Amino acid sequence: MIGNDIVDLRQAALESNWRRKGYLNKLFTKNEQQWILEASNPGQMVWLLWSMKEAAYKIYSRRKTWRAFAPLKLICKTLEIKEELAIGSVECESHTFFSQTMLTAQFIHTIATEQHPMQAITVKITGYNPTDTSYRNTDPATVSHHGRYLALAYV
Amino acid sequence: MIAIPFQKENMDRSSILSKLKVIVANYSHDKDALEYLSESTDFIKDLKINSANLVDVVLDVEEEFDIEIDNLAMERMLNVSAAIEIITDKLKAK
Repeated sequence: MIGNDIVDLRQAALESNWRRKGYLNKLFTKNEQQWILEASNPGQMVWLLWSMKEAAYKIYSRRKTWRAFAPLKLICKTLEIKEELAIGSVECESHTFFSQTMLTAQFIHTIATEQHPMQAITVKITGYNPTDTSYRNTDPATVSHHGRYLALAYV
Repeated sequence: MIAIPFQKENMDRSSILSKLKVIVANYSHDKDALEYLSESTDFIKDLKINSANLVDVVLDVEEEFDIEIDNLAMERMLNVSAAIEIITDKLKAK
């Protein structure tokens, strides 16, 4: 099983003020907050960590038929950033998920898997049109949309 | 005579609901679902609130009602009725 999550950075900047008092404490562990604090681009780090949590949650919530707003139970354990690619892992109730994130100036897209190394995954990122649901016929393994973007992943 | 406290309880729930409606209106992406907001309305499925904005709903609720929502309560704050339960409990505990 795989999960994905896309963050349109323009939309995120419009919708969310991560500098709001109390915001980071509700979403991120002390260690994750340290990463944000030390990052050269803190805003990018916020959405990188957030998309890792969301992508892992997509797998775990389907596996366990669990539904909760529990960002602090999804813990980003490791993270290594090399230019436009971030490799990491997320832990949730002693299950580990592996993540690969594409970092661009426009969006952040994470794929999470249960396997390491990852199986072959095809990612397709396009513009999002809410009235066009034809992508469903292509049988994607996981779907995410936010702001201007639609992200599909196939195994 | 029992009807009096019962009515008061109902009024409290409805006044919490109307305050909640003002808060979620800022983050909802579905105008119809917002207009027909009820206790069974789901924040994500019905109001199409972005999950990153759920934390804003929680913070706004904390400010509006002067309460603290712990992580366990936050976990289940996914719909109007759960939010009302949590707010009612926290107000009682004040």
